[in-house]
Amino acid sequence: MSDHRVMIIDDEKIVGDMAKLSLEQEGYIVETFLNGETALVRLAEQKFDVVVTDLKMKGIDGMEVLRTVKSLYPDTRVIMITAFANLDTAIEALRGDVHDFFPKPVKIKELKASIQRALGG
Amino acid sequence: MKIENKIILSNVFNIGLILLIGFFAFQNLDLMLTKLRFVEIADDLNASFLEMRLSEKNFLLYHNENFLVEMKEKIESTDQMLDSAGTDIIRAIGKDNFELLKSYLKHYSYIVEIIRRKAGSDEFLDARFRAQGKKLREFSSTITRLERKGVNDIIYRSKSVLFYSFLAIVAGAVFVSHFISQKILRSLREIEKLAKSISLGNFDRIEGEIPADEFGSVMTAINSMSEELRNREEALIQSKKLASLGILTAGVAHELTNPLNNISMIAQNYLELYDKLDRDQKIDFMDKVEKETDRIKEIIKNLLDFSRPKDANLKAADLNTVMQKTLKLMQNMLDISNIETKTDLGMNLPPVFIDEHQIQQVLVNLMTNAAQSMQSGGTIFMATRCCRGDSVEIRIMDTGKGIQPEFVPHIFDPFFTTKGEGGTGLGLSVSYGIIKNHKGDIRVESKVGVGTTFTIELPVYKNQL
Repeated sequence: MSDHRVMIIDDEKIVGDMAKLSLEQEGYIVETFLNGETALVRLAEQKFDVVVTDLKMKGIDGMEVLRTVKSLYPDTRVIMITAFANLDTAIEALRGDVHDFFPKPVKIKELKASIQRALGG
Repeated sequence: MKIENKIILSNVFNIGLILLIGFFAFQNLDLMLTKLRFVEIADDLNASFLEMRLSEKNFLLYHNENFLVEMKEKIESTDQMLDSAGTDIIRAIGKDNFELLKSYLKHYSYIVEIIRRKAGSDEFLDARFRAQGKKLREFSSTITRLERKGVNDIIYRSKSVLFYSFLAIVAGAVFVSHFISQKILRSLREIEKLAKSISLGNFDRIEGEIPADEFGSVMTAINSMSEELRNREEALIQSKKLASLGILTAGVAHELTNPLNNISMIAQNYLELYDKLDRDQKIDFMDKVEKETDRIKEIIKNLLDFSRPKDANLKAADLNTVMQKTLKLMQNMLDISNIETKTDLGMNLPPVFIDEHQIQQVLVNLMTNAAQSMQSGGTIFMATRCCRGDSVEIRIMDTGKGIQPEFVPHIFDPFFTTKGEGGTGLGLSVSYGIIKNHKGDIRVESKVGVGTTFTIELPVYKNQL
């Protein structure tokens, strides 16, 4: 059982809820946020090992979360999920050193495997 | 009746009138000639009668039988003259007067004969003789006088007939040509009005009875043209709508993916954690699935409502509701383009008389244009306001790149586009057509580098009852 911290950011509440429920079964400590602003505030207080963020959000979007995390907390891994998947956004995300990129609908098992890989497990 | 036929008819009428006057004038002249000839004859007759009476006087003074012979000869020659000029005289004074004259003459001749036979005379016969001569002479001079008067009457009458006929022809010609030209001008004005209203995008049919003349044919032609234009405009509206639909699809796909993802994640956890979930959690999961499918249903319904072809169906509607529905339909597309929207919807707006779907189409169109003019994100400001006269006002303002001043007058023209190959140039012209069909107005103000504002006015619904 790990005590790794995982942050989920998605403006769809169900995404956070379901990911949290599943990840907590594996022993992760999970916090969910509905927008980039509150998530970045929390990140300043607490170190997270993995941030899973939606790409398209009002205000601070996934790409900005990625940029901020990479500049301020380079050890934290970022996994991007998006309902609006196209090649351009994927390339942009990968350039920003994203750990993984998932189009919706997300397979939870794949997401968990990706998080595990991110943690070097 | 055709105008050509009307003109021909009026000409025929005038020519007929002239012929009639000519005929009367000819008849009057003919009658006058007859009368004049008779007056000549009557002068001769009067001279003869005068001579007869002179012989009669001589005989009565001198009782010389030679005078009677002279008279007899005169009477015979006069009788011959009457017979030879009989037809002319009858025509002038009538058969009865002619017969009377002849009978007087015969009677006179008879008395002369009696006096001659008796070779002498008595008081009674002399008196009869004198009386008959006088009667004859008086009759003939009366007729002559009457005939002279008749000739004068004819001259006077034909003068006035000619005068009044002339007046009638002039009045008739003026009236008929005025009437026909008025009618032509009226029809021309009607057609001019119609052409103007068509050029303003109003393709209504001409109501009321269509005349059977050349203008009727023109009106029928215009009617079928209007109908054709209306059909094409409807087709154009529909094709433009389908084009907007393509733009919307990207946003809608995104919008559909989210609830699908939610359902999928719930299902995955449900299967994975089935034994660990308690009853309430399971019920909560299924409730959420149900809510997410409702979300999908709503999205599809909006999309279908928008894409379905519909005839313009004007109804009283709340403009703010239409604005909000449109915004909902557009929201994802705007989010993707990183565009913020601000609304300022007026309170207590009166209902407007609109086809909700068509107005929604116009709004989608204007907002798509706004979004495309703001590639690096921006703000669309939407407002409704009451009331400018009998209209409610909509404003859609963007912070995009604006329209070049020289393009502004053309932006509502069909096939005019500033988007290069990406644009059809039909969006704004179709929007313009829709707003004009609503008896509304659409205007644009734009500043390069600052943004563009579209203002739409739509008529307030007035209860007709």
